Amino acid sequence: MAFIKLNDLEVEVEDGTNVVEAARQHGIEVPHYCYHPGLSRPANCRMCLVEPYVFFPPAGAIVPDRQLATGCTTVLRTAPPDRKLDGKYDFIVQTDSPRVKKAREDILEFLLVHHPLDCPVCDQAGECDLQDFSYRHGHDKSRYLEVKNVPPKKDLGPDVLLYSTRCIVCTRCIRFCDEVSGSGELGLIHRGSHDEIDIPRNHGGAPLQLLDNKLAGNVVDICPVGALISKDFLFKSRPWFMKKTNSICAGCSVGCNITLEYKEDGVYRLKPRFHGEINQHWMCDDGRLGYHYVNSDDRLQLPLKRVDGELTPTHWADALALITEKLLGTEAADVAPEDIVVIGSAQGTNEDNYVLQQFAHDVLKTTQVGLFGQLPGEEHKFPQFTIEADKNPNTAGARTILGAANGNVVLEGDALWERVAGAKVVYLVSGGPERPLEAAESAALEKVDFLVVQDVLPSDVTQLADVVLPGTTFAEKDGTFTNSTGWVQRIRKTIDAPGEARVDWEITQQLAKQLGGEMNYHFAGEIALAIAENVPGYGEATHQKVGDEGVKLT
Amino acid sequence: MVQERRILYEHLDVPDINTFDVFRQYDGYKRFEKAINEYQPDDISKMVMDSGLKGRGGAGFSTGLKWSFVPKDIKPCYLCCNADESEPGTFSNRYVLERNPHLLIEGILICCYAMGIETTYVYIRGEFTLGKKMLDAAIAEASAKGYLGKNILGTGLDVDIYTHPGAGAYICGEETGLIESLEGKRGQPRNKPPFPAVEGVFKKPTVVQNVETLCNLPFIVGNGVEWYTQMGPTYGDARFDPPKPDPNTGTKLYCISGDVNKPGVYELDLGLTCTELIEVAGGLRGEEVKAVIPGGSSAPILTHYELDTRLDFTSLTLAKSMLGSGGIIVMNETRNIVDCLLNIMKFYAHESCGQCTPCRWGTPWVRDIVQRIADGKGRQSTITRPKFGIAENGRWGDTGETEEIYEDLDLLESVANNIANVDTMTWNTICVFGIAVSWPAVSYMRKFRPEFEACIREGKLVTLSVAEATMKPEENYAYQQRIIPREME
Ligand SMILES: Cc1cc2nc3c(=O)[nH]c(=O)nc-3n(C[C@H](O)[C@H](O)[C@H](O)COP(=O)(O)O)c2cc1C
Ligand code: SF4
Ligand code: SF4
Ligand code: SF4
Repeated sequence: MAFIKLNDLEVEVEDGTNVVEAARQHGIEVPHYCYHPGLSRPANCRMCLVEPYVFFPPAGAIVPDRQLATGCTTVLRTAPPDRKLDGKYDFIVQTDSPRVKKAREDILEFLLVHHPLDCPVCDQAGECDLQDFSYRHGHDKSRYLEVKNVPPKKDLGPDVLLYSTRCIVCTRCIRFCDEVSGSGELGLIHRGSHDEIDIPRNHGGAPLQLLDNKLAGNVVDICPVGALISKDFLFKSRPWFMKKTNSICAGCSVGCNITLEYKEDGVYRLKPRFHGEINQHWMCDDGRLGYHYVNSDDRLQLPLKRVDGELTPTHWADALALITEKLLGTEAADVAPEDIVVIGSAQGTNEDNYVLQQFAHDVLKTTQVGLFGQLPGEEHKFPQFTIEADKNPNTAGARTILGAANGNVVLEGDALWERVAGAKVVYLVSGGPERPLEAAESAALEKVDFLVVQDVLPSDVTQLADVVLPGTTFAEKDGTFTNSTGWVQRIRKTIDAPGEARVDWEITQQLAKQLGGEMNYHFAGEIALAIAENVPGYGEATHQKVGDEGVKLT
Repeated sequence: MVQERRILYEHLDVPDINTFDVFRQYDGYKRFEKAINEYQPDDISKMVMDSGLKGRGGAGFSTGLKWSFVPKDIKPCYLCCNADESEPGTFSNRYVLERNPHLLIEGILICCYAMGIETTYVYIRGEFTLGKKMLDAAIAEASAKGYLGKNILGTGLDVDIYTHPGAGAYICGEETGLIESLEGKRGQPRNKPPFPAVEGVFKKPTVVQNVETLCNLPFIVGNGVEWYTQMGPTYGDARFDPPKPDPNTGTKLYCISGDVNKPGVYELDLGLTCTELIEVAGGLRGEEVKAVIPGGSSAPILTHYELDTRLDFTSLTLAKSMLGSGGIIVMNETRNIVDCLLNIMKFYAHESCGQCTPCRWGTPWVRDIVQRIADGKGRQSTITRPKFGIAENGRWGDTGETEEIYEDLDLLESVANNIANVDTMTWNTICVFGIAVSWPAVSYMRKFRPEFEACIREGKLVTLSVAEATMKPEENYAYQQRIIPREME
């Protein structure tokens, strides 16, 4: 640990921390643009200048250094005993001296000379570092009278637009493409005040390569101003109108930490949230843009039952009664427990699956438990990021939990479909984006006498169902996911589920109650407590402990 | 009358001196042979340190000191020869490359021997096609004769020289910009520290040295330190107590251009005055000297009051200017300083690499302000303010008079100082290009303020007489700091 004098504070920081981070840890803002903790440090914006102190032998005193230093590249380390300042400090630095304040004002003035000041029509307004720092550290007027540069607006790729006029040439986007995605699509063209960010083009200006790697969306997040804009979000909402909730991306088994931004009428965008051991600062575009199914107009809003071969909307009491009838009623005699297959979902939370397996085990008394989820996709590896092939957020958790009371036997793949083909009643929970069925899968499901499907969108699976129960997506419920590396992480309810759709475990619990089961959970956290008690490895995975950082399975 | 003292340029005019055999007749490579036969590498480093040789590329940093910063235990270590000579007003390296390339190779060999370097890159300005051709030919010839390549002269010494043409950017002359460009990247200077001596080309220790600096080495080795230190003055560096000797030894290739009768490169001892230099270059063309740029376009300008300033590293630093690259531009009474500044600012605005904020957007801004003044659109305020200057009590303060406010001159000074402050010598930029911009901007404006004011007042470009255009010496911000060397007092 290095012992630092930071303004008036005496603080300890880890060796190797830079001044910007050390100050941030102690609630002091050192404004910066080009520095990003996940990227290299060119120190080109010159915004994070701070005033270090040095020992000046002729005066025999500790004095401010002649030049200001960039806080991002000034790394704090324990000094050898004979190099300590004042006998105890490893470093002394001022972040708010008059010299520093003047330097910030000057840099901000330069940053704004060519800036169009079009905040009223800029997507970034409200979450713009240029706005915020200008407000907090800048001049109140401009002395610039000359003509401003007007470089062109550019379409860089499928989801990214560049408003070059707003660019402050911090090169974060270039460094991201060089260092994290390794795809290097972006570069600087021209020189000096005519610097522009661009993709490779031929002499006619036609693009030779687009910014279309699967991590491209991150450049929009890290752009400190409104220069790089996501087409998906363009002009959709002002940032201050959206609520923000910490959650987990449900796009694959990596489990990227995200902030889910939403209004009453739906999800507006997902942004990555830092997690040092999972996704760092990033997320992929599949996840980022994969939320649209949540807002879909096609979402299942009412339970459906099959009338004359057609799925027809009905009400919950009716749908549940139909299922109860099948399992308890007159026909039920020839349905033995082992004829019932209960299939949980890798799209569902640990809590959903726990209630489901309890329902199978305690109420239906069946040992036939399976696991269903999205079809595997492709794995994509980048220098500092991996998108996994398993497109479910919770395969690991669902598998463990479904098998918890069952000797860990969970049917999957061919074994599952073989068993399904011979079953009389199947209760299948799906979820997530529309899941196409493969031929063997639909053939097996078609053979089932009575198929209950719980899903969020009409799909191949719901097409075969006798009763369809409308469930919820990751954006509409609380719970936990377990990622492929064993991190248990929390998702949180943001928007309300559409129509009469209900949280998946509540539906299962309602069914259990109607069938005489004794289940009475009130909220997801209560289920997590039961999981912690009963599922090996999940002892620490209560909602309280999982929090925003997650808990690694033991 | 001062005489030229030709050392580096001594044999420049010998026919075919660019060939190995002729070069050999004039002691060629003998100094290198002396170095490897008579001295250990450390002896050479010590000689260079003792000789007081200062870098001729611009910064004037002690070459021996620079070498001492290179860690001995990290290998490979590289030498980069800076032949990107693009400072306006500078053209001395070019002649070495075109006429006497073997001298440079010999200098490189001595440096490589002293520093244990096996690979040298010569970064040549892209426009120097002839220079590159001549140097390439000389390298081939020296290799054929066994003076380059593996196991040189059977001593086990390996040295390879690669030439690399620049692509036309001034900033690639800055040592770290040069290194980036050499590595195949955009020529953008790096943050320092780490300095190239510790982490340079391919992240290895690198000595960056100007052509002229390297060409001095054969003579230091050949004729000895004592001979070398006799040329040029030595001062006491007053910043230290007791004052450290501050040597300005050797000769300098002064590139004299502008309003002189015989412009060209003149090799002279360091420490001659401007007046003497103008005389050497055939005298002034015109009636009166209006101004002299002493060290390439980046250097602050000198007025006719300052012509007794000695053109060496220390004297010019004390006169708040610099020797820089030794590019001396003389201007007579017909020149307009506003126009001249505009010309220079156009150059810098075009050449800023654009990496860091103050320089990227400040430099064109300065250019635009000067352009406006030159166009006669400079702004003057309708109100006046108390004039500050030497007050009655002899101190700086309110003079009791009022002065007119020239908003654009205040703005010019403020913007330039925000890029790099010439008064405190602090800058917020990555490289010292920033100070190379604000130095001329602020010094021209302060020293020739009446001419700037006249342009604004009259709404057009006006050239004043020398006496009218120049600030009085006592009002010149740099004049007081200037020292007159002891022997001249
Ligand atoms: C903007 C800028 C341009 C420069 N251009 C040159 C140049 O063209 N040639 C050169 O030798 N040094 C140039 N320099 C100086 C180099 O950075 C460096 O100080 C020099 O090459 C070191 O060699 P020396 O110690 O032998 O002088 C330039 C410096 C700056 C800041
Ligand atoms: S980038 Fe920031 S400062 Fe610029 S227009 Fe957008 S919100 Fe305003
Ligand atoms: S587009 Fe944004 S991230 Fe890229 S250099 Fe410009 S301001 Fe920085
Ligand atoms: S000061 Fe100018 S030339 Fe130097 S790095 Fe910054 S922008 Fe480039």
